[in-house]
Amino acid sequence: MSDTTVSKCGKCGLCLAVCPVHRLLMEEQASPRARIQLIENYKRKKLPSSPYLKELINKCLMCGSCAANCPSGVDHYSQFMEMRQQMAKEHGDRLEIKSLVYLLAKEQRLRLAVGMAKLGRSIVPEVFQKKYRLGNIPIQNFPQLNKKPFRSTIPEEIPAKGKERGIVLYFTGCATNYIYDETGHATLELLTTMGYRVRIPRQQTCCSIPMLYHGGIEEARKNIEQNLQCFDEDDVAAIIVDCPTCGSALKKEFPSMMKKWDKDSGPAEAIGAKVTDLMSFVYDRRDSLRIDEQKAAATGPVTYHAPCHLKNCFVPADRLLRDLPFVDFIEAEDALDCCGGGGTFFYEYPEISTQMASKKIAGAKKTGANLWLTDCPVCRINLSGRLTAEDNIDMLHPARYLALILKQ
Amino acid sequence: MLSPVIKAELIKIVTKDRYLDRPEELACYSYDSFLEESLPDAAIFPLTSREVSDILKIASNNQVPVTARGAGTSVCGAPIPIRHGIVLCFSKMNRIIEANTRDRYAIVEPGVINGDLQKALAPFGFFYPPDPGSINISTIGGNVALNAGGPRCLKYGVTVDYVLGMQVVLASGKIVRFGSRNIKDVTGYKLSALFCGSEGTLGLVTEIILRVVPLPEATRTVMVTFNDLDNTAEAVADIIGSGILPVAMELMDRMTINAIEDAGRLGLARDAEGSLLIEVDGVREACEREMVRIIEKVKQHGAVTVQEAQTPADRDKLWAARRQAYGVFAKIAPDIVSEDVTVPVSKVPEMIRRIREICNRNAIKVGVLAHAGDGNMHPLIPADRNNREEWARVIKACGEIFEAAAALHGTLSGEHGIGLAKAAYLPLVMDEDSREFLTVIKRAVDPDNILNPGKFA
Repeated sequence: MSDTTVSKCGKCGLCLAVCPVHRLLMEEQASPRARIQLIENYKRKKLPSSPYLKELINKCLMCGSCAANCPSGVDHYSQFMEMRQQMAKEHGDRLEIKSLVYLLAKEQRLRLAVGMAKLGRSIVPEVFQKKYRLGNIPIQNFPQLNKKPFRSTIPEEIPAKGKERGIVLYFTGCATNYIYDETGHATLELLTTMGYRVRIPRQQTCCSIPMLYHGGIEEARKNIEQNLQCFDEDDVAAIIVDCPTCGSALKKEFPSMMKKWDKDSGPAEAIGAKVTDLMSFVYDRRDSLRIDEQKAAATGPVTYHAPCHLKNCFVPADRLLRDLPFVDFIEAEDALDCCGGGGTFFYEYPEISTQMASKKIAGAKKTGANLWLTDCPVCRINLSGRLTAEDNIDMLHPARYLALILKQ
Repeated sequence: MLSPVIKAELIKIVTKDRYLDRPEELACYSYDSFLEESLPDAAIFPLTSREVSDILKIASNNQVPVTARGAGTSVCGAPIPIRHGIVLCFSKMNRIIEANTRDRYAIVEPGVINGDLQKALAPFGFFYPPDPGSINISTIGGNVALNAGGPRCLKYGVTVDYVLGMQVVLASGKIVRFGSRNIKDVTGYKLSALFCGSEGTLGLVTEIILRVVPLPEATRTVMVTFNDLDNTAEAVADIIGSGILPVAMELMDRMTINAIEDAGRLGLARDAEGSLLIEVDGVREACEREMVRIIEKVKQHGAVTVQEAQTPADRDKLWAARRQAYGVFAKIAPDIVSEDVTVPVSKVPEMIRRIREICNRNAIKVGVLAHAGDGNMHPLIPADRNNREEWARVIKACGEIFEAAAALHGTLSGEHGIGLAKAAYLPLVMDEDSREFLTVIKRAVDPDNILNPGKFA
């Protein structure tokens, strides 16, 4: 493990205030400051490697709020990622997590697995589906998989509606490709309506964040290089992501990993500079959207959950909802708080995740809105999986919501 | 490690969920924001006064040191268990028992986070004035133990000015109560004040009754710059001397201003030798009047630019510069020493001259930052602890800064506390008989010296 990262942590403790896990558990060992100290102790051989050390390092949502708020500029995110890789190497990972890394590493494996999963789900009797839980979420509450991967159902390039204002590249992410194709279709609808030609590079693949979190460093490298290759285009207005975590990977992790691997980070930086989350892109061009008053009234009030990676790497979409005409936006008091999803965190630490998600659900219910918008697919799975029919709340990507209320 | 018998007794009190002693855990309770570290033998999370009492009885019977901890944001090493033993961590004992704005008090457990109390009071139009930099994470228990201050304490006073009463568990395990819910209360010694700043050396505070006050109707904020640091400091002394009492008067010198500009371009005047961020609050008309007088005064002292905040966003922007100062310095070098000497406000100009002279002579960088209105200096010294030669110069300069403050009738610390950081310098501001009195009190209440041993008392 490299020792080049000089920890400049002044132990001031300001990160404790913004760490969702610490705020819930109120124990120092569950804080970003402690994780940095543990990593230091491990590097200096003051603490031996142990499964418990791994657990303390991994009991983290990787939300990035500590790094975003650190006065000393400590890069917690990279340090945690590197330490997680080291711990996975020394102590292995759960079989399910290893399988996930294996699957996401190769697009064809993923496609195959998705096919099998669908088959499995159709033959498993419903009574079992009700009984089983992943994390604390009933299996039956997980979203249905797309009939076909989103990207296989659309052309590689889609022309703008009306006068063309430019070309954008679209990184769909695995969630849109395999689970929420409605988000993908809505994204295309918005972008083309605003006058953009949308190109969806065929060779794109998983952004690699799940591998980086769980020690699949070699697999990550291949994915990152493949993605860099197919997004390296000069004359594009932007590279659009609908998933904030993929977005933060493209924007920050790609250049930083290339540097770590002593490779030319120039192309990754150029790509990173063009990456923007979909709703920020829309916000900057909101004047070109025409909202249908009746449709907006018919969908009723909406509320919003700000994903951590959007908050810490881009800008949450509530500003757009607040600004658009006819949108009845009711802000939840805790809209900015973490939902406890955190990649696979909701699966690895269900008790912690459940407490955080329950608070969020209570906050959303308090607004009285029946539509709950969020950009991040993991937040959506984590929250919607815990909603019951009585809650009467549907979750959507804000893009899907906008597509629903656009004037035709 | 504690003996298996003691460990079993302690676990019986708090259950094993709230008793930590694995090496990975202990490493996380060995530090605060100060430089030193020392491992405890166990970290325990009590939930009630009764549990604290039972734990202290066992600790007393077995001569096990007990060091209290809140959020661990102390900058002087107060919660570092330098003699090992138990770290008693109050972060889970965090209920706001009562917020009574009609009678203007709040009763809280020690683990309540200062910022959470503010949030609970705001809907009633009230607040709790002490505002340390760690406001969003530090606990009221820790604030009491360190007698915490903050920028707005210039007008409102520090923690001790807001503590009406408290429940304390003594080393013997006895639970005692001092003070009451009344602002006027003359019933014997004002013992709750004794515990403010005691750093957990006399007893463990398990419940606190705090005075709370109404939020002011209006706030006015201005940023002024000067061509001369002396003039800047003179303006502070003059404004305070003229009878105006702003909420805050934050001073920054040229090095600080430029370091902030280097980091983020906030549009501060780089060639200014000194700047003041001045805020007044209260009744709207009074604020206006005070602001007019303040602007007159700073102009008399040669203010070059005067920038008044017109909107809340302007105000946030002006404060953003000041808030970033610590972080900006923390990035200059691996370590940062943030000193805390305090002098009577008329001595602020002289103290600043001396700090700069001392640091120049010892060839170390310093940014002068101060809650200038109450004479509370925060010289920030970025340095590298691994550079032994440089570090020796830093230590020497700090000693000289303490001596200079003492010579100006100042004191070692305005709001950070003594802890491990400044214990050696106490003789500069307290003579032998006075220090002996501290010892007399400490011995009387904690004869076996189990409460936070190795600290100043």
